[in-house]
Amino acid sequence: MHLPSPQTAVEGGGQIASIARTFGVDWPHLVAQAISFGIVCVVLYVFAYRPILRLLEARRQQIAGGLANAEKIKAELARIEAERLAVLAKADAEGQRRIEEARAAAARLGTEQMQKAVAAAERVLALAHEAGERDRASLLADGRNEIGRLVVQTTAAVVGKILTAEDQQRLAEETASQLAG
Amino acid sequence: MRTKTRARRAARQLYRLCVVNGALDEGRVRQVARRVAASRRRGSLRILEGFQRLVRLDIDRHTARVESATPLARLLRDTFTHRLERRYGPHLTASFRDDPALIGGVRIRVGSDVYDGTIRSRLNSLAGRF
Repeated sequence: MHLPSPQTAVEGGGQIASIARTFGVDWPHLVAQAISFGIVCVVLYVFAYRPILRLLEARRQQIAGGLANAEKIKAELARIEAERLAVLAKADAEGQRRIEEARAAAARLGTEQMQKAVAAAERVLALAHEAGERDRASLLADGRNEIGRLVVQTTAAVVGKILTAEDQQRLAEETASQLAG
Repeated sequence: MRTKTRARRAARQLYRLCVVNGALDEGRVRQVARRVAASRRRGSLRILEGFQRLVRLDIDRHTARVESATPLARLLRDTFTHRLERRYGPHLTASFRDDPALIGGVRIRVGSDVYDGTIRSRLNSLAGRF
């Protein structure tokens, strides 16, 4: 460590005094101004800097609270989204189930309707068949009646001509024998 | 209702009075009919109606209507009369009639009994089968 010698210090003090004289420094005035500046600094520190610090702290805490709230809201949103997705999935499953049920019901109904239609068609066919049979039977009966009438008419005409007196006698005796029996 | 039953009963009694030896006496029938018609008793008309019905049934029972397609020979008529009397009693009256529509054979009707041996009935039976 290199210490200045007293000669050097006297020389140095002279230099400072010389510089101060050169720049026009008035030591009492400078000290008074320094004291005034310190007082101003203290006043500013007490009445301006500390309230600003408090304000900044409050602001920081508010921001931290806001951030915490935002995190909370985000978590809530995530939960709601999850719930929404769950509800949607459930609704989807329910809808699917309903659709399946509706399809099954429609298929069942379709089968029943088909069976009914088939039964109705069979009934109609049976009725038509019966009506046809009736018509056929009626036609046959009419034909038989007509043939019978013609046969009887022709036979009556022919037999009336070919019966002899002996035949008449024989027929009368047949009736007489019925009375005897 | 009771009047009707009473009238029927009275008609039956009057009818029995007219039967002599199993046969209806025509004279008695006339007499009864005349007397009932002349009486002014209540219900005499109903009695007369019932009596007429019973007499008609008796006549039907004792009358044989013999119908044939051609006229029957005397011998055959006698045979029919004899056999009918044997079956239905001696008080039977036989009436003979010709009906060419019968074609052949004989039909006899006594009351509700019918003996039908005619060709017409056989042909009708044949037509019925068709």
